[in-house]
Amino acid sequence: MKLTLANFHVKDICFGAKTELKDGVLTVNKEEALAVVREDTHITEAELHIVKPGDMVRLVPVKEAIEPRYRVGGGPVFPGVTGELMQAGNGKTHALKDMSVLVVGKHYGGFQDGLIDMGGEGAKYSYYSQLKNLVLVAHTDEEFERHEQQKKNRALRWAGMRLAEYIGSCTKDMQPDDTDVYELEPVTKRSKAVNDLPSVVLVLQPQSQMEEMGYNDLNYGWDCNHMLPTFMHPNEVLDGAMISGSFMPCSSKWSTYDFQNFPMIRRLYEEHGKTLNFLGVIMSNLNVALEQKERAAIFVAQMAKSLGADSAIVAEEGYGNPDTDFTACLVALEEAGVKTVGLSNECTGRDGASQPLVSMNEKEDAIVSCGNVSTLIELPAMPVVLGELEALSRDGLSGGWGNDEKLGPSVRPDGSIIMENNAMFCGDQVVGWSTKTMVEF
Amino acid sequence: MKAILYLNQFFGQIGGEELADHEPEIREGCVGPALALQAALGDQVTVTHTVICGDNFMGSRTEEGIDRILGFLNDKEFDIFFAGPAFRAGRYGAACGHICNAVQNKFGVPVLTSMNEENPGVEMYRSKMIIFKGGASAAAMKKDVEAMAKYGLKLLKGEKLLPAVVEGYFGRGIRDMIWLDPPVTAADRAIDMLLKKVRGEAYQTELPIPKSDRAPIATAITPEELSKMEVALVTSGGIVPVGNPDRIQSASATKWGKYDVSMLENLQKGEYMTIHAGFDPAAANNDPDVIVPLDAMRAYQKEGKIGGVYKFFYSTVGTGTTQAEAARMGREIAEELLRDGIRAAILTST
Repeated sequence: MKLTLANFHVKDICFGAKTELKDGVLTVNKEEALAVVREDTHITEAELHIVKPGDMVRLVPVKEAIEPRYRVGGGPVFPGVTGELMQAGNGKTHALKDMSVLVVGKHYGGFQDGLIDMGGEGAKYSYYSQLKNLVLVAHTDEEFERHEQQKKNRALRWAGMRLAEYIGSCTKDMQPDDTDVYELEPVTKRSKAVNDLPSVVLVLQPQSQMEEMGYNDLNYGWDCNHMLPTFMHPNEVLDGAMISGSFMPCSSKWSTYDFQNFPMIRRLYEEHGKTLNFLGVIMSNLNVALEQKERAAIFVAQMAKSLGADSAIVAEEGYGNPDTDFTACLVALEEAGVKTVGLSNECTGRDGASQPLVSMNEKEDAIVSCGNVSTLIELPAMPVVLGELEALSRDGLSGGWGNDEKLGPSVRPDGSIIMENNAMFCGDQVVGWSTKTMVEF
Repeated sequence: MKAILYLNQFFGQIGGEELADHEPEIREGCVGPALALQAALGDQVTVTHTVICGDNFMGSRTEEGIDRILGFLNDKEFDIFFAGPAFRAGRYGAACGHICNAVQNKFGVPVLTSMNEENPGVEMYRSKMIIFKGGASAAAMKKDVEAMAKYGLKLLKGEKLLPAVVEGYFGRGIRDMIWLDPPVTAADRAIDMLLKKVRGEAYQTELPIPKSDRAPIATAITPEELSKMEVALVTSGGIVPVGNPDRIQSASATKWGKYDVSMLENLQKGEYMTIHAGFDPAAANNDPDVIVPLDAMRAYQKEGKIGGVYKFFYSTVGTGTTQAEAARMGREIAEELLRDGIRAAILTST
C-alpha cells in the first residue's frame, strides 16, 4: 500500500471573494463555506473566524480539529463517514498543512470538550495554538442533549468534516509544495535486510467506552465499541479511516487531526528499514466491561505474536477506566515475549501523589508519560473569547467546575479562569507530539 | 525576611552524647551551623534564632519537645524554618522531621531539612517535606547547608522550582508535568526507549511503577454468620437521591453521602439516579439497583441468606477521584459502619 500525502503549506488565511489557495495564502469565501456547514439543517447558527498563533483569543468549548484535505481522484476524505466506503491509505491525498479547522460550540459544551488559548501563557497547553485555524463557531437544534454532560456533538463534528473537505477541495488540480510518501511492503514480502531488523507493531487503543452509539471513535464509520482488535495498515489511519469521537476528557482525546497526522506512526516510518521493521498497526479499543478488556488484550497479544513482532508500542486515548486496558495490553504483550513501550498520560490528583494510572503492573517497565490531567492551571482573562466562556464552569467540562470550596468557580467574573489540564483541547498529545513528561517533586 | 534553624545538642554546641537529654531552648542569633546558613542565605534573609534540643529529649519526650518548641516560636516572626543538616545521625534526622512537620502544620511556613540517604528520618518524612540529599558526616556541612539555603531563597523569591532529582532532594511522591528543555517529542522518546529495550540496553521509564498498596483480603464469613448479619451497601457509582442533596461532585469527588433505605425494597427510577460522569448513565438511571443492588439484597434477606440490609447505603463518585481521597472516604465510611457494628459490606464500582 502506497500513500502520497501532497502537502500545501498554508502561510496565512483570510476571507475573500473566492475560496482558493494562492502562494500559500488560503482565502475563504465565507458565505460559500457557511452554506456547506448549513447543509445539515440541524445547524441553527454558524459563524467563521480565523485565529493565528499569538492571537489573544480563547476558544471554548472546542469540540474537534480536522486537517483540510482532498482525495485525488474523488471520494470522501473520511470513507464511511462523509461519503461512501472505500479503501483509505492507497493513492494520493492533498493536505493543507500548518492549519486546522476547529469546531467550537457557540453556547454549550460538555464533558468531552476543551479549551485552547492561541496566545499568552495558556498557549503551550494545546498543540493547536501553533496552527493557523479556521474556526467554526456554531449552534444546533439538538435539544435532546442540550443539557446533557456528555454530548454526541454530531451536527457540529460532521459540519467540521464537511468544511475541511470543502476547504481541501480548493487544491484540486494544484501542485503541492512537497510530498510525503508512505509505503510498507506486505509483511511476508520484505527484504532480508528489513526482516533482520527488530520488528515492531503499533497498538492503538482509540476511545470506545460508550455503549450507546454516536460518542465513540469511528473506524471507516464503524463504532470502535463494536470491533475486536484488528490489523490495519498505518496509511489507513493517516488517510481518514479513523475519526475522533465525542466522549473522552479533552486533554486525553485524540482529535481527527491527530489521527490524520499521527506523529508516532510517522516516526515509526522514519525508522522503518533503518533500525526497525514496522509491521503495522493493531487497532484495539477501550470497552468498559472487564471481559471485553481481557478479550481485546488476548487478541492484541496473539496478533502481535502471530505477526512475529519482537516489540510493540501501545498508546491509549484516555485515562481512568482505559488504564485497565492499557495495562492489560502491556502485560499480555510482555507475557507473549513482545518487548513493549507504553504511551500514556497520568492522573495524579489534587495532591499530586495519587496513583498515576488506575491499573498498574510491574511488567509495565517502559512508559513514556505525556502529561498530567490533574495539573491546575490558572490563566488571565482573554480580550476575545470564541464560543462561550461560561461553558467551562457550567457544562461539566472534564477540567472545569461550577464551584469548588477551595478554588471557587472555574470561570471568574473578570474572565480569568482556573481549570485542570484535563480540559485542555487534546493537550496531552499521547499520539506523539507531547514534549511534556512527568517528574517527581 | 527571617529564618529560624533547629539543631541538636551536638551541633548546638551544648555537648556530646552525655548531654543528649538537653531540654529544648531557643537563642537569639546564630549558633554553630546557623552561621554557615546565614552566610549562604546572604543579606536578604536573617537567621534570627537558633532552636536547640537534645536528641534523647526529642526521641523520648517527642510530644513535649515539639510543644515546647512551638511555644518558643509562637511570638516569633519567621518566613522559613530549617533543621539540620542531620547527615547520618538517626535520632537527629527523626527529630528534624518531627519538628519541621509540626512547624509547617502550625505556622504554614516552608520547612527544609537535609539528611543522608541512610538516615531513617528520610523514609519517615520524605513524603511530608523537602529533605535534601545530604552527606554522611559533618564534613559535608558547608555543601549541605548551601543546598538548603539555595532552595530556600528560591522558595522565598517565588522562583521556578525544578524536579526533586534536579534540585537534589528526596522526591515526595508528588508527580507533575514539565516541558522538556530542549523539547523532545513523545514519539522520539518512545523510539529511543524501544530501541534500548530491544537491544537490552539500559533505559529509564518515565513512570516507575511503585509497589502496590493492597488491603489484605478479609477472612470469609460463614453462611451461618451471614444469615444473622446486616450487610451494608457502598458504591463509587454515584447513585444519589434525585437532586443530589449532598452535592457530591460528578468527577474528582471529595464528598460522600449516606441515604436511608430502611423502608425501601429497591431504588426506584426517578427517585434515585447516578451523578457519575465517567460512564454512560442510561442503565443506572433506568434502574439504580444495577449499581446499588438493594433489590437483590432484599431477596437474599427474605431467603434468609443475610440477616438484613444496613439502614444506609453510602455513595461517592469514583471517576478521577484520587487514591488519597478515596482512601480517606473509605476510612470514614468504614469507621461509621464499625461504630454501628456492621461487619460486612458490598462495595460496588462501575
